[in-house]
Amino acid sequence: MSARAASPGQGDFRRRATDAGLSVWFVLAILFLFAPIAVSILYSFNLGVVGKQTSHFTGWTLEWYPAAWNDLALRRSVQTSLYVAFWAALIALAMGASLGYALVRHPSPRVRRWLSGLTYILLIVPEVVIGVSLLLFYAVTGVPLGAATLIAGITPAAIAVTALIVRARALTLDPRLEEAAADLGSTRLKTLWFIVLPQLLPAILAGGLMSYAFCFDNLVVAAFLTTPAVNTLPVYLYGSLQYGPAPSVYAAATVVFLFTVTLLGLAALCFRLSRKPGRTGAS
Amino acid sequence: MTSANKTGQTPSKRAPSARVSDHLFAAIPTIWLALFFLAPLGFTVVYSFGNSLFGAVELGFTLKNYQTALSGFYLTTFLRTVQFAVTASALCLVVAFPVAYFIARKAGRFRTLALVLILIPYFSSFLVRVMSWQILLARGGVVEVILNFLHLHDGPLDLLDTKTAVFIGMVYAYLPIAIVPLFVVLDRIPGPLLEASRDLGASRFQTFWAVTLPLARPGIATAVLLTAVPMLGEMVIPKLLGGSRGVLMGQAISSQYLQSQNYALGSAMAVLVLIAVAVVVAALARLTKGFAEVSA
Repeated sequence: MSARAASPGQGDFRRRATDAGLSVWFVLAILFLFAPIAVSILYSFNLGVVGKQTSHFTGWTLEWYPAAWNDLALRRSVQTSLYVAFWAALIALAMGASLGYALVRHPSPRVRRWLSGLTYILLIVPEVVIGVSLLLFYAVTGVPLGAATLIAGITPAAIAVTALIVRARALTLDPRLEEAAADLGSTRLKTLWFIVLPQLLPAILAGGLMSYAFCFDNLVVAAFLTTPAVNTLPVYLYGSLQYGPAPSVYAAATVVFLFTVTLLGLAALCFRLSRKPGRTGAS
Repeated sequence: MTSANKTGQTPSKRAPSARVSDHLFAAIPTIWLALFFLAPLGFTVVYSFGNSLFGAVELGFTLKNYQTALSGFYLTTFLRTVQFAVTASALCLVVAFPVAYFIARKAGRFRTLALVLILIPYFSSFLVRVMSWQILLARGGVVEVILNFLHLHDGPLDLLDTKTAVFIGMVYAYLPIAIVPLFVVLDRIPGPLLEASRDLGASRFQTFWAVTLPLARPGIATAVLLTAVPMLGEMVIPKLLGGSRGVLMGQAISSQYLQSQNYALGSAMAVLVLIAVAVVVAALARLTKGFAEVSA
């Protein structure tokens, strides 16, 4: 401590050096995270060689965007992905909200413990194990693979994610509000609809959005459950890798990425706007 | 008392026992998950003890599949997978910790922006990002050019289809998911606690080692859990960046199902991965339990 008191200049210098080092590390991490995205956008304009992607940039072209649009198999896989992700996210939203609320509010501690155990198991079973298990399950029970089996198969992990987000919000709910509603003669159903749901809604929507992005991009579980008729975008791309991907794949990925980011931006904006009136009213 | 509030267990005349709605909220997701998650896993466990015929399995009880899965090529693959997951998870932690520390303690008013930046890559296609690493790591690619420019390496760089490339890909893919839990714990450490440590004469390094790091233990455990566990089953990154050498369990299991049609052996290998996962979870649970005892 005496050293510190004797030479404050040195300590100050060390602190600044550490801070600078941390900032540099952060910037490098961001560059690391965004480098492949930048490359995938850049290479969607790459001329390529005989319609295949190359690791060297051979020249600029815009032809891959119309090419991606005109590739019927690619377009159908995007449609399938949108459809599958929509229904899977909707199921995950409903199931996850219900599970997240039960995790906090079920009266029996034993049930709560069992439910949280289940939620964590959902998150820690590797996807490949879930994928092969579902393939086996559907094969043994004789259920033909289709869109519905795929949707059902990719929901569990999304349900867990939604449940944890909703749980975090439900923990902050004041039970006295619900009791007050009951005191004033509200039925349980009405209380849930008018008191509980509005408070949980931002978390439920956030969970649904996460689930949507998550299910749209699911590759590993979907790889085992897709059929030639029901093929999602990631699985289609994965299959196309054997022949060398075309730059149109990157064009499609770029469009989907921009679409997702726009959607998230809009959601964040809605979330902010919906919170503002409450804030000004409170202050 | 706080826990009673949290769980809605405050004594009240109107809510003495579970209501129908409470049971429904717990039961509906449980039934769904029992059907599409627990039952399939159960089938896998049962089939791992069956006799394999080509494309079919005769149910029974034999340990033959486990013997195969724990010998020769399969054992090597299993051990290699565990080694890869542990190493890549540790690397991920080393890269993620300073980033999380920076966002929690130094980013100031940019912290929300910093967090968003970390999470955005998560919303672009995972597969396309891994494919882009092929371009970055290729001979004459960007990484080679930069390393040559900085004089850290001379001449062509043959990274693609190596272990190093797989590690880069794994750290890349799981970095955001490691940063978030670390950020959460580091953000919660009260500033006055660190000031107190400094006032009592601890050096910056001693404060970090004796105060920050122990308090960050639950976050470290969560980060390791969220990275090491999916890495145990990772099948895309090793395939795209590691080439044909160094097959990991994810690909090995997948090929038992999709190519060899040996469901029984594939199931046994899947169960082995689950056991490895359980060991990781148990080890991490001990780590955080130790933390709880210290803080109590």
